[in-house]
Amino acid sequence: MTHDVIKHLLDDYVTGDLTDEARPPVEEHVISCALCAAEVESLKRILARAAELPETADPPEDAWSNIRSAISRDESAVRANDSVSRSGIWQRRYVFAAAAAILVAVLSSAGTALYMNGHYSGARSSRAVANTSSGEATPAMLAAFTIEENNYLRTASLLQDLLDQQEASLAPETVAQLKASLRTIDEAILEARNALARDPANKLLVEMLSASYRQKVDLLRRTTEMTRGT
Amino acid sequence: MKTSAVVSDTIGKHPSTNADDKAAALERVQRARTGDVDAFEVLYREHSPRIYALCLRLKGGDKSDATELLQDVFIKAWRRLDTFRGDSAFVSWLHRLAVNTMLENARSDQRRTARVLPMEDTSRLAGAARSSGVESRMDMEGAIASLPKGARLAFVLHDVEGYQHQEIAEQLSVSVGTVKAQLHRARRLLRERLES
Repeated sequence: MTHDVIKHLLDDYVTGDLTDEARPPVEEHVISCALCAAEVESLKRILARAAELPETADPPEDAWSNIRSAISRDESAVRANDSVSRSGIWQRRYVFAAAAAILVAVLSSAGTALYMNGHYSGARSSRAVANTSSGEATPAMLAAFTIEENNYLRTASLLQDLLDQQEASLAPETVAQLKASLRTIDEAILEARNALARDPANKLLVEMLSASYRQKVDLLRRTTEMTRGT
Repeated sequence: MKTSAVVSDTIGKHPSTNADDKAAALERVQRARTGDVDAFEVLYREHSPRIYALCLRLKGGDKSDATELLQDVFIKAWRRLDTFRGDSAFVSWLHRLAVNTMLENARSDQRRTARVLPMEDTSRLAGAARSSGVESRMDMEGAIASLPKGARLAFVLHDVEGYQHQEIAEQLSVSVGTVKAQLHRARRLLRERLES
């Protein structure tokens, strides 16, 4: 092997990734070539420094409390989903009707109406208005949001299950587009959730998260309806 | 650093914990699956320093991004505890979750304006910095943080965390050749920055 070939094998030589056949000629060349020998030593130094890096770093103190806030909100919804998924027969036979019913409930719930793109103009108390205008969610808003969030989680789960069962009836490009769209919405949900965990009373974040929930449910609903029609 | 004896369910310089530790972790995971947040907190306290160090390096030393990633990882871990089968160390599972989450986040990051990688937050990684090698480690952390993203990921995952080429290729959805090329580039750039 020539120098030009061997110099491309030096990384693998240093990390022990060369095959038994390739190693001897490289080893032999490195002994006689000052350039390659220097490169090998330099690579070894870099790898040694990488090995000395600390394996741990202390996370910020508030990281756990943010995580705990986020997962606490999941708990009741997760339990509800578990009970739904255990009843397999019910899920198979009536899943779409149930999903549609829950969807209607979500879309018509007071919580949804409350946050529907600022359309809410109902009977808010003057105190609530004052708090809302300051950008801080009122306890009533947060309570309604919790209901909406639980409904969303149940509905999205049911619709997703249904969609998974019916995916084969969709064109591959449609499935790819759908998954990309869902991923984008999920990312938005995750970001809003994390931000809300840090600032639980932020009205804007509640609205953003709420809008993302509705967007996902709507996309799932439209797609399942489309598959039902195929 | 990297060992050739890495097996698929462990991570290079972070081999699987012993049987007792693994059993204890599994027991905590099972409790957490039932909704025991305190058990999950124990898992967090035990593993978050390792995962946070990884997050910091994956995020080029940006403390804010790394904290966000850490939180994402553990929130996802909570939601996906049912998918942890116990045939690998829990920390290995978390590692993979961290890398996957970072890659998922990166897809959305691509839609945003590229950010300049800050260098000052790399000090966090040397939080335990007390030995005489502190300065050297700081230089190394800063140099890693300044690498182009692809090269940084390959270097952190292979040379720091001990993943195999094939594992990295699968996680990043690229070929093994691409991983090797990025590694070569990373090492060359590091040598230029640290030894010139």
